Amino acid sequence: MGYFENIRESVRTIFEGMAITASHMVRKPYTVQYPDRIDVRVQDTLPFRYRGLLDVDLEICTGCLACERACPIDCIVIDAEKDKETREMVLKRFDIDLAKCMFCGLCSEPCPTGSIHHTPEFEGADYSLESMIRRFVKAPVVAYKPSKGPETNPEIAPILKRGLRYLDEFASPGGAS
Amino acid sequence: MSHAIDIDLHREGPGGLETEEMTLNMGPQHPSTHGVLRFVVKADGEVMRRAIPDIGYLHRSIEKIAEKVGYHGFMPYTDRVDYVSAMQCNQGWAMACEKLAGIEVPRRGEYCRVIASEFGRIASHLISVGATGMDMGAITPFTHAIREREYINDILEELCGARLTFNYMRIGGCAWDLPPGFAKRAIAYLDRFEPLIDEYDELISFNKIYVERLANVAPITAERAISWNLVGPNLRGSGVRYDVRRDVPYSAYPEFEFDVPVGTGERGTLGDCYDRYMVRMREIRQSCRILRQALEGIPAGPVVAKVPRTFKPAPGAVHVRVEASRGDMGWFAVSDGTAFPVRVHIRTGSYAAMAAIEELSKGLMIADLVAVIASLDIVAPEVDR
Repeated sequence: MGYFENIRESVRTIFEGMAITASHMVRKPYTVQYPDRIDVRVQDTLPFRYRGLLDVDLEICTGCLACERACPIDCIVIDAEKDKETREMVLKRFDIDLAKCMFCGLCSEPCPTGSIHHTPEFEGADYSLESMIRRFVKAPVVAYKPSKGPETNPEIAPILKRGLRYLDEFASPGGAS
Repeated sequence: MSHAIDIDLHREGPGGLETEEMTLNMGPQHPSTHGVLRFVVKADGEVMRRAIPDIGYLHRSIEKIAEKVGYHGFMPYTDRVDYVSAMQCNQGWAMACEKLAGIEVPRRGEYCRVIASEFGRIASHLISVGATGMDMGAITPFTHAIREREYINDILEELCGARLTFNYMRIGGCAWDLPPGFAKRAIAYLDRFEPLIDEYDELISFNKIYVERLANVAPITAERAISWNLVGPNLRGSGVRYDVRRDVPYSAYPEFEFDVPVGTGERGTLGDCYDRYMVRMREIRQSCRILRQALEGIPAGPVVAKVPRTFKPAPGAVHVRVEASRGDMGWFAVSDGTAFPVRVHIRTGSYAAMAAIEELSKGLMIADLVAVIASLDIVAPEVDR
């Protein structure tokens, strides 16, 4: 390639690229101005399977410790004891250290009722590590005992329905891991 | 630094003037070293006499962690082996465990894996070609590539709930089935994306300045590429038609039709930086082709096989290979019959590519070192693990 041919080729290819770049002036932009200049909250636009901060519905927690065993980094700590007199499981402590949590989702899969679940919430920044530990049990509570038929307690039924729907759509149907 | 640097530091220049060789540190926080990489560059003016890679800045002892967390629990950690294309790492570990325990993956599960992996490969190659452009001084293509990758992240987020650390695959299959309407949206995305590859080509691949920066820089012959143990697009850039997906078939890949693009030396020497770049561009097209076939022909059925929660495979050692975005990734696992593996080793493509840089850099300009790193597509966490 000659000297002038080189120059011609350089100029031509540069203008080809510039034309494509200029065409983006009229295309729809993809960037969104997080967090204030958006129509809908980002949390509401996320897919159902989004793995955000963990939440626990204590009303339907059976105290089976499956999530504690599944967690590879031990960020879930549960103290559950059997009451000698009433023979019921009593949850004394259910802590999740969100600073340690890596949002892998392995804990919510083995949960039998969908009690521990991911929320679409992701804004979890805080000023101290201590405040990142979510303590779900304020005072000892009796663990949920699954009833044989459909749930009849009107206070628990909607929570359980949500939990089971979460299990259906999120956790694996084959029962792995 | 333990490397012995045996280059004569003082020499007589022309006219009896004494010149001194310069030692330059490139990295670890250099923007064009793609992560935390450090190079000790011995330079004579602008010309490098040697660039010594110094690794270990991102060592997280992932292999040791596997011995502590067990088979199921190690899956999220495999995302961190190569965080630019985590899906194939997921698949490597899942395949190793399945081979240890002799588990058959359902066909739909294999298809889901292929779909997820190929989306991951496109995303990874987009980062690679975009970053190559940016290292060469063209910033626009990078933003375009990242924008398309965002859409892929959205698709994968819908599939598995995370944008980067997917943790999608499980021993025996995949964690979740495709969500309703997924295939339609994925094909709509591919329809929109494939014309954009031509646009990238016009925007950057055929740009004269860009071609001049990459062509004839650091050519690797096929023999040297094999002797250096280069894998993946780096090996194919040198004209060796070898792809684990085709030559050591795994998962559902034998059921798909796709080509293995190789470097042709179209703008310079065979195996130069431009060839490696173009191989990646062409692989994006092939991945789109595989995706279309997989999305259209996905069979019905379960996505995961029954695997007990306490996974205790029989004693033994296995080695499996997957074609990750940066080439042949080997997973070696030893079991002693308990719930924890005795030893896990991961063989990655970036590590071999990193070792080739010292030889390749001899006599290159310092600015070309950036081209070599970018075209070998080195991802720092994959080097150290």
